[in-house]
Amino acid sequence: MKKLIASLMLSSLMVAGATTMANAAPVRIAFLMYGNKAEFVQLMERYAKEHPAVKQGLAEVTLFDGRYDAAVQNDQGQMAVNSKYDAIIINPMDFEANIDVVTVANEAGIPIVVTNARLNTQDMLSEVVSDDVEGGYLEAKAVLEKLGCKGNVVIIEGPKGGSGEIERGRGNERAISECPEGAVKVLERKTANWSRAEALDLMQNWLTAHPKEIDGVIGQNDEMALGAIEAIKSAGYDVKDFAIAGIDGVTDALRAVKAGEMTSILQDARGQAQGSIDVAMKAVVGDDYKPMSDIWEQYKGKMEWNDGKTKRYDVPWTIVTPENVDALLKDRGY
Amino acid sequence: MQTGSRAGTNPLAMREYGIVFAFIGLCILVGALCQLKVVQGTWPQNAFLTVNNLLLILHQISVNGVLAVGMTFVIISGGIDLSVGSLLAFSGMMAASFATRSPGVTAWAGNYGAFIPIVVALAVGSASGALNGWIISRFKIQAFIATLGMLMAGRGFTMAVTNGNPISALGPEFRWFGTGKLFDAIPIPAVILGIVFLLAWIILNKTVFGRYVYAVGGNEKSARTSGINTKAILIWVYVLSGFLAGVAGVILTAKTGSAQTAAGTSYELDAIAAVVIGGASLSGGIGRLTGTFFGALIIGVMNNGLDILGVQSFYQLIIKGSLIVFAVILDPSRKLTA
Amino acid sequence: MPEPMLSMSHIKKSFGGVKALVDGNLDLEAGRIHALCGGNGAGKSTILSILMGFYKPDAGEIRLNGEPVQFHSPQQALAAGIAIVQQELSGIPHLTVAENIFLGEEPRRGAFVDFPKLYRQADALLSSLGFAIDPRARLDTLTVASQQLIEIAKALSRHDARIVIFDEPTSAIGEKDAERLFEVLRELAAAGKAIVYVTHRLAEIFQIADDYTVFQDGARVATGQVADINRERLIEMMIGGAIEGEFVKENAPTAEPVLELSGLGRAPWFEGVDLTLHAGEILGVYGLVGSGRTEMLDTIYGLETPDEGEIKVFGRPLPPGDVKAALATGLSYVTEDRKRTGLILSASVGSNLSLAHLRHLHSLGFVKRPAERALIDRAIAGMRIKTPSPAQLVRNLSGGNQQKVVFGRCTAGEPKILLLDEPTRGVDVGAKKEIYRFISNFARAGGAVLMVSSELDEIIGMSDRVLVIKQGRNVAELPRRAADQKSLMMAAL
Repeated sequence: MKKLIASLMLSSLMVAGATTMANAAPVRIAFLMYGNKAEFVQLMERYAKEHPAVKQGLAEVTLFDGRYDAAVQNDQGQMAVNSKYDAIIINPMDFEANIDVVTVANEAGIPIVVTNARLNTQDMLSEVVSDDVEGGYLEAKAVLEKLGCKGNVVIIEGPKGGSGEIERGRGNERAISECPEGAVKVLERKTANWSRAEALDLMQNWLTAHPKEIDGVIGQNDEMALGAIEAIKSAGYDVKDFAIAGIDGVTDALRAVKAGEMTSILQDARGQAQGSIDVAMKAVVGDDYKPMSDIWEQYKGKMEWNDGKTKRYDVPWTIVTPENVDALLKDRGY
Repeated sequence: MQTGSRAGTNPLAMREYGIVFAFIGLCILVGALCQLKVVQGTWPQNAFLTVNNLLLILHQISVNGVLAVGMTFVIISGGIDLSVGSLLAFSGMMAASFATRSPGVTAWAGNYGAFIPIVVALAVGSASGALNGWIISRFKIQAFIATLGMLMAGRGFTMAVTNGNPISALGPEFRWFGTGKLFDAIPIPAVILGIVFLLAWIILNKTVFGRYVYAVGGNEKSARTSGINTKAILIWVYVLSGFLAGVAGVILTAKTGSAQTAAGTSYELDAIAAVVIGGASLSGGIGRLTGTFFGALIIGVMNNGLDILGVQSFYQLIIKGSLIVFAVILDPSRKLTA
Repeated sequence: MPEPMLSMSHIKKSFGGVKALVDGNLDLEAGRIHALCGGNGAGKSTILSILMGFYKPDAGEIRLNGEPVQFHSPQQALAAGIAIVQQELSGIPHLTVAENIFLGEEPRRGAFVDFPKLYRQADALLSSLGFAIDPRARLDTLTVASQQLIEIAKALSRHDARIVIFDEPTSAIGEKDAERLFEVLRELAAAGKAIVYVTHRLAEIFQIADDYTVFQDGARVATGQVADINRERLIEMMIGGAIEGEFVKENAPTAEPVLELSGLGRAPWFEGVDLTLHAGEILGVYGLVGSGRTEMLDTIYGLETPDEGEIKVFGRPLPPGDVKAALATGLSYVTEDRKRTGLILSASVGSNLSLAHLRHLHSLGFVKRPAERALIDRAIAGMRIKTPSPAQLVRNLSGGNQQKVVFGRCTAGEPKILLLDEPTRGVDVGAKKEIYRFISNFARAGGAVLMVSSELDEIIGMSDRVLVIKQGRNVAELPRRAADQKSLMMAAL
């Protein structure tokens, strides 16, 4: 039924008018974001709105700002249930506290998809995430490869106790442990709370404590790696003498990659946002639904559609290098 | 009940010396702990006690220091300004939109050098501060509430500018204000802090306006009886605070090379902490800029020293929190206001 | 002679080298009201603080009913039956009368307040004291005088008080309420309690006290029965020498009008007030607390805007609600409550003195320090303010000197008309006389003074004419010779 309407709309191109037609109600999806201040979240929102199903009026995605508060997100989950949304996608703030949203959605029989960060439960319909342990492993590997598995590194961590910090940290350690015993020394590790400004101060202080000793910087996100780059510059060192990596692939990091200053591990906001919308649509529309985002084409062989039935979709990381950075920047309109 | 007569020493003077001693004590403590590492052979030299590290600390406290200068005026006037962190982000974002080489983040974005973005930031900060002051004095709303409103609204405006995106790729002229160095040694943000501090000190201590700020905070009714336009004084105090939030916005944005919507979150608390450690009374009428300067320095030395010594961040928070409370408990002149 | 209920003898106390008490003696007898007199710093506050257990004496002895006692804490003194009625109103406005009285000692049922019992207890206490106050009323709906009565009830509720100390209980209430308070004091005395009464209002001592003790420079200099002395003798004992008259009045009014009010009103405080003040004249304004006197001065000065009527200064209309304009035409205002509206307590003596004049003492916004310093020095000398230096914080001065700072600021700009509201409240006898001398000199030099006061002696002693205000209207005008206690009270009540 909905498929039929979809094709009608495609032919008529009257997207705006069509959404108001009787029986043409689009699938209503509540997209619960943990916050909206970070560039990565902004990217996810943008790609969600660019999903073909949304553009064609088949789906209507409403974004909620969780204001970095798990309790706020739980309230928003309850509200989405009460307002009878057809599906819920959550990018959770807290991997324990927000299990609540999954529980209420399941009780109401509303399909729920978890994206970007993980929840400590198996009760959701599906997860469309990137494995943070893998991301942490890849970025540390990039640093260590440049150092030839030898030297002193510092790790700038995410907020203590958060799943990002724990899992990326685990990946960092795995990569370090693959080097010969004692060849790589972690001089310092401390949180800068995902913030560039905090990382800038922290790295300046470390450079003071360990002048000319630090060889590599593992930033658990790009912003903090960029803060470290600013610190290195302000202390009068040459950034190119350091091996630096971060995670996420924010635009500034792509520029830094292009300048040869760091490596970034791109977390595919588009893959996560659009992938989870496809999985949610499939659950609502039924067997007739075919995935509309081209990410499934892009990741063929690495992440299969599998009729929307996979429990956990691992959206692959992309290591951003001077070779592929131009294409990525172009995709963002630069 | 009246207690016995008090000795003739000026307690404000004692308070000022007290904080200098606290600062020196802290430096000696951190310096000694670092020296211990040298003695133990883990460090080749004492990393804390160097000129470069001192300049680094000044660089690091520049943003908080500038905010705290404005906060000092506000607190002396008997108010509080919770909006400075948000206004920092808002003015920084507006400045960045006139200093970016990546067009399209906003409808007007472009790189106009340094002068225009800085003027924009200062204008945005001052105007928002004026709104704060007008609401407080016109509607007699508590400063806490009015600026709490601005804290939220200011963050909203910041996100509205670019729909929540950061603005980066800032021009080198603008970035010089965060990364440049005078004589190849003194960081420009530290120079800005010095200039701001000096001018503010002159305004607070040498001008009629400064004296009126003390009077309004000490007893608004007495000030009114003395023919002072207390409403105008309050508005100007918040304009000044907003203006300095604009200055801080320029420094932070130029320093990190990117205007972020989350920039400056909870910076108002660090600024208040510096002012309170510096000996100002939250009930108004009492406070010194020199105290605030050392208050900001103490916070800066602590952050720097604990990073250098490799102390975990949770202990850093515990130590900072304790210090604020102890500073007030140990304040010799506190009994006067009890 | 009967054994006194309380006897404090040869008490010594120093604070960091400053001797507050050298030879403190105090004897109280049951059933009598005992006035404790002395200027600020004479030591009366210190000896009372020792009695209440706030300070430990360095030497000396306290005997209660013949038994030596030592109080190490206020709790011990309370338990021994010594209660104080606080000078400052310290109630919690949004709680009821009963909740205020039993604050911290509420009858409980588990974790909950037993409200029925609380109100029963409060009702019983209030009616036993003869206070017609509803225990369920919220404190802020009561008059200041009733709130003061609540403070008394609170002090008496705690323990079986044998000694009750009243520290300036009438400073915030008017004559009529003071009468009510005195009745309560007499009833308490009749019930066998010893009452200590501290006040700066000498008339009250002769109205109510049985005995007196005078302190000067940390020692008792005189004690005896009030019936044996008169006002003049008491003042002489307090300042340690003979005085020639309590008041100073050497001015002569002229016929030249300087301030004219016609039909001035501001709802709901006052309406239709007419008065004319002449150069060289001291015009007293008498009225009960709440009669609209203070509001009238506020309005003349421009702190508030009138609803009706006109103010003329030197024949020219004064723009309403404009303090700066009032100051510019030569008006100056010494407000009622120096701590609340007069002084900046957190600031120095010097900054308080120069505050109203900085607008004339600057170039391009920068304060001209030498000029400011000269003004401050002139004011300190002119008012004879006792302060170690202009940098001293004004809160560390005595009440009398604080009041002189207010006067100094108000007159440094050489005003021609002084508005005074309770000019000597909380000021000791010595400083009072200096203030009277200043007022007299000011009027003698051609200035005009509009003085509001609820102290009848002061009004009668200083005024050339007296205007009586009642419920916001001027109801009577009496020339100096016709103004006596009785006629003023009659007009005001």
